Amino acid sequence: MARTQLDSITKVFTERGGNEIVAVNDVSIDIKDGEFLVLVGPSGCGKSTTLRMIAGLESITSGEIRFDGTVVNDIPAKDRDIAMVFQSYALYPHMTVQGNMAFGLEESTDLSDAEVEERVEESAQMMGIGDLLDRKPGELSGGQQQRVALGRAIVREPEVFLMDEPLSNLDAKLRSEMRTELQRIQEQFDTTTIYVTHDQTEAMTMGDRIAILDDGKLQQVGTPIECYHQPANRFVASFIGEPSMNFLSVSLEGNRFIGERFEYPISSALAESIGEQTDLTIGVRPEDISLVDEPDTHTISMVVDVVEPMGDQNVVYLVFPEAEVGIEGPGESIIATIEGMHHVQSGDTVEAHIPEDALQVFDQSGEAIRNRHLDVSPAQIQF
Amino acid sequence: MSEATIDVDETERSLRERVRLRTVALYSAVLALVVFYMIPIQSGLVTSFKTSRAVRETAPFVPPGLEGFTLGKWEFAFSALSDGMFNSLLFTIPSTILCAIFGSMAAYGLTLAKWRGQIFVFALFIAGIFIPYQAVIIPLSEFWNVWVDLEARLGFLWGLPLLARKHATIMELIVTHTAYGIPIVTVLFRAQYKSMSREMMEAAKLDGASMWRTYRRIILPLSVPMFAVVFIFQFTQIWNEFLFSLIIIQSVSDPAASVTLILSGLGEALEGVDFPLRMAGAFISALPTLIVYVLFADKFAEGVRV
Repeated sequence: MARTQLDSITKVFTERGGNEIVAVNDVSIDIKDGEFLVLVGPSGCGKSTTLRMIAGLESITSGEIRFDGTVVNDIPAKDRDIAMVFQSYALYPHMTVQGNMAFGLEESTDLSDAEVEERVEESAQMMGIGDLLDRKPGELSGGQQQRVALGRAIVREPEVFLMDEPLSNLDAKLRSEMRTELQRIQEQFDTTTIYVTHDQTEAMTMGDRIAILDDGKLQQVGTPIECYHQPANRFVASFIGEPSMNFLSVSLEGNRFIGERFEYPISSALAESIGEQTDLTIGVRPEDISLVDEPDTHTISMVVDVVEPMGDQNVVYLVFPEAEVGIEGPGESIIATIEGMHHVQSGDTVEAHIPEDALQVFDQSGEAIRNRHLDVSPAQIQF
Repeated sequence: MSEATIDVDETERSLRERVRLRTVALYSAVLALVVFYMIPIQSGLVTSFKTSRAVRETAPFVPPGLEGFTLGKWEFAFSALSDGMFNSLLFTIPSTILCAIFGSMAAYGLTLAKWRGQIFVFALFIAGIFIPYQAVIIPLSEFWNVWVDLEARLGFLWGLPLLARKHATIMELIVTHTAYGIPIVTVLFRAQYKSMSREMMEAAKLDGASMWRTYRRIILPLSVPMFAVVFIFQFTQIWNEFLFSLIIIQSVSDPAASVTLILSGLGEALEGVDFPLRMAGAFISALPTLIVYVLFADKFAEGVRV
């Protein structure tokens, strides 16, 4: 188990013809011993490249990676004492499950055959693949192959687990099962784990902390709750949460936000905290919006466009009355999630209530100026 | 209701009729092709059992009668070719194996490892495929006879048991065929290695396996079917090769003479061509390639499957 520090690491790929592409740009993360860190971001954001640099499969253009204080930049992959689970599982097709799991121990340790067999047996039992040891990968289902790939990593008892979208090839049901199982295993071993995914649900549910990357740059590192409620910028706010946060562009005039089609009075405390800037974007999570009967100062009259009943909740797409239904411009529709039994239908005019406490305010460049008000600090919320 | 039943019955019957017709057509076509391809082989085979008189008096594809039948041509061909067969095996088997091993290693280094200039080196391999045999005949003979001259340089070996002067020529053939075969074999292996999962290679790297161990324990076992393809292909190629034998061995009467070299003169005489003898000789010299096909057929099928 090792504390893993990424110290302003940068990766530049040089294309044929001399074009330089910055895949990872000055990323620094301090990952505590035994922590489960999820690297999340859209495809092409540099998360896999970051993981591959930690693994030693990719050289580091600049910056340092340290395991327990030791710089590992120049230590070859096989000596870094890490195990990696690949998206494609990368099992050796000609070897049995037993052979696949034993390979790493045979190549990297001096353990006797009996010891190797014992450790493989033990890990296989733990992964529930004890009775598959004599099969070859081609004879296994996707879920079983996934377990073998995990087992192959566990049996090595490495300092750091690296996982590159390990669940993305599984069907939805199996994926959520494996998600729980992975967390259980990580807790049991208490091994530092760095997990790459593009799926924000995986990031939210699995990570002790999540690191959000976009375009090679680190946007925010924090607990899932922090990132959800106190996003550092507009990108994080929109990436985390499903359905995505609503954004409306407004300008601040005195104690009011003026939007293209609405006005929203705010408290002077909020107006003061924003300061001089006037070109702003406000964000509000769909679940913070409620549909009420009586208009008041914090409601906006809107028309229901589409309702998606999910059972426990309804996802309601709202448009401004002046906007033609079905034709949407940016900032002209918002999404609200309301209770599943609350009946609304397309074409209804409703009063959407947006509480001031729930507002996120971003400046022109997308940086958060003010996060929503919370009664408890996210740091106090422990799982 | 009853009408409908009759209708169904009738369409079903006509459908069955059509299926039967298609089957008949298919089988007739297959049969015709079999006859077409087998006639030359069948003619050769029956001719090889004919006496010289029977050859003159019967059509090529008609089997000889009892009085026209002889095994003599086979016996003669076998005794004439047996030394050549042995010599050919002596250089074909090592060259085939060496080609496969070197080709596979070269392909591994050119595909799954990263280093500067590998594109250039691979281009050299590609170029190697296209050098025509004829272009290298003179440099080749100059190289072996003037510059290397294994027979003289390895003179101390020829006194040892089981070794003789002719083995110098055999060694020259082994080296020549290996060198000439490596480029095409490399390209064959490279095609397979290119399709191998990069993540699997990386997994092996993280598992602590060195380049060499990865090759031994992962790449080599996975390329067994391609080895079968290469064995069959290279064995046939080298066994049937004539020009290098002619240049390096030079004479039919040389103790190192290969089977193709001897076969070229078999049954040729001033009084005419002895067709039965030539046919018997051809069958005997084709036998080893057939055996190799049979031995590696299963793996070969796996290797050429897309």
